[in-house]
Amino acid sequence: MAKACCGPGYASPAEAMQAPREKLLYTIAIYTGTGIQKPDYLCTIDADPESPTYSQVISRLEMPGIGDELHHMGWNACSSCHDDENMERKYLIVPGVRSTNLHIIDCATDPRNPTLFKVIEGSEIKARTNLSAPHTVHCLGSEIIISMLGDAQGNAPGGYLHLDKEFNIIGRWENSMGEIKFGYDFWYQPRHNVMVSSEWAAPNTFMPGFDLEEVGHLKYGRELHFWDFEKKEPRQTMYLGEDGLIPLEVRFHHNPDSSHGFVGAALSANIIHWWKDTAGEWQWEKIVDVDNEPHPDWPIPIPGVISVILLSMDDRFLYLCNWLHGDIRQYDISDPHKPVLTGQVWMGGLLGKAPEVNGVKVTGGPQMIQLSLDGKRLFVTTSLFSTWDNQFYPEIRTNGGCMLMVNCDTENGGMEIDPDFVVDFGKEPNGPSRCHETRYPGGDCTSDIWI
Amino acid sequence: MTKVTVTLANRQDQTFEVDPRKTLLASLSEQGVDLPYGCKYGGCITCAARLMSGSVNQSAQVALNNRQISDGYIILCVARPLSDCCLEIGVDSHGKLYRNPFLDPLADHELKADIAAPTKENT
Repeated sequence: MAKACCGPGYASPAEAMQAPREKLLYTIAIYTGTGIQKPDYLCTIDADPESPTYSQVISRLEMPGIGDELHHMGWNACSSCHDDENMERKYLIVPGVRSTNLHIIDCATDPRNPTLFKVIEGSEIKARTNLSAPHTVHCLGSEIIISMLGDAQGNAPGGYLHLDKEFNIIGRWENSMGEIKFGYDFWYQPRHNVMVSSEWAAPNTFMPGFDLEEVGHLKYGRELHFWDFEKKEPRQTMYLGEDGLIPLEVRFHHNPDSSHGFVGAALSANIIHWWKDTAGEWQWEKIVDVDNEPHPDWPIPIPGVISVILLSMDDRFLYLCNWLHGDIRQYDISDPHKPVLTGQVWMGGLLGKAPEVNGVKVTGGPQMIQLSLDGKRLFVTTSLFSTWDNQFYPEIRTNGGCMLMVNCDTENGGMEIDPDFVVDFGKEPNGPSRCHETRYPGGDCTSDIWI
Repeated sequence: MTKVTVTLANRQDQTFEVDPRKTLLASLSEQGVDLPYGCKYGGCITCAARLMSGSVNQSAQVALNNRQISDGYIILCVARPLSDCCLEIGVDSHGKLYRNPFLDPLADHELKADIAAPTKENT
């Protein structure tokens, strides 16, 4: 077929990998919970090595109010509407987990200086949909769905907010939440008519911080849900049990024909793999089990706490972060049943393996990651969530977070921290802030889905 | 209705006359006190402050565990004063609010109210 086109994104994952190198990064930075009475903001970071401002924050867009706790974000459009010439990857939808406000940010008119286009107030979302605590944003063709982790009072399971392409609230996306107890992340694979969603906890449970005892009281998730995507209702639940405590980031293969996907179980520090077998039944298995590590000051060994996973655009490598241990791992998942550890780097963490990197004291551990479309550059930030940061890495209040870049060998496997790239959020103009999720203007490895 | 006096111990003992029908976050913010906040419904602890003396009604809060409550923490976005109060506010009052959950576990009676075991005095 001749290359049709027009709309945002790319015709295929293979084409996405040929895209020009990312020159700008958009990264969340927060002051919520830090003691600095300033709004959270979106940073634009120069990632062009030829530029005099390489590895620096070149602009900052403050949100209108304080206390949002910006966290994850997503584009208004991706490769899922590549055929639609009326669509453009122009706006980032940047939710506040605590405030429920949705900030719509124009990143295309002046990519180096994004501007606030519109705010959908949390009060309006709660009043019209009885939902709060927005998390994952995915576009869906020309529409947008956002996982909302609570009802308007912060109780689980919440549901899914549905917006049209003009950012008007349509209402709830799902027809039923079935027996689902909690929400968190989701990803869809339309050729298999499936969406998979994972479980964190009720906002009223996780927002104040982490009480370990609440896991035993079933206040945190341990199930994975397979949805009938067209019917917008859950169809099957996988009980992961002790192997799947707090399943967070959900990633399907980018290949739209594949049924394989993965989730990182944060507290169990396992990678769970699922796929559809030849009989058409969904199966799951544990494929990576990160051992807990002893620590002289801890009464029990420290769990890795896998806070994020990500797949390269060619679906060959899986990356994971052990936020408490301090390492990022690269696994070759060419055979998704048999991952092979091919790379590992250390930054921060509680094990003390790399307290300082590129001249910056790393407070926190590797947390959110974003990979370039060609798979060669992995950008890493160190803050998880303000209250949880305050519990595990209290020095982050004065040191702030940081961003590093890891060079990934896509031929032989392997990773190395780039010695020339570091953004120290401890030196921000208004005081130390904490950096979280990153996206690239041209799309990235956690934005684009092919229908 | 009679106003009550709120003293901010870690803000040079500044005092404010507040309407007890309003939340402390609303009353103090209106009078120019720069306070952190997040959810504004009592579900997150961004606005937590420490009650040094006096009493409040914070029955709408769902964020604090019983350890935090016994350490004097209150949630300003839902707490209404029942008497004159003395508070420590802001993140500089949060010293005992956060603890490493692995190093310093909670006893059964220190969990959040909906799952806490009754204390011996209550049984």
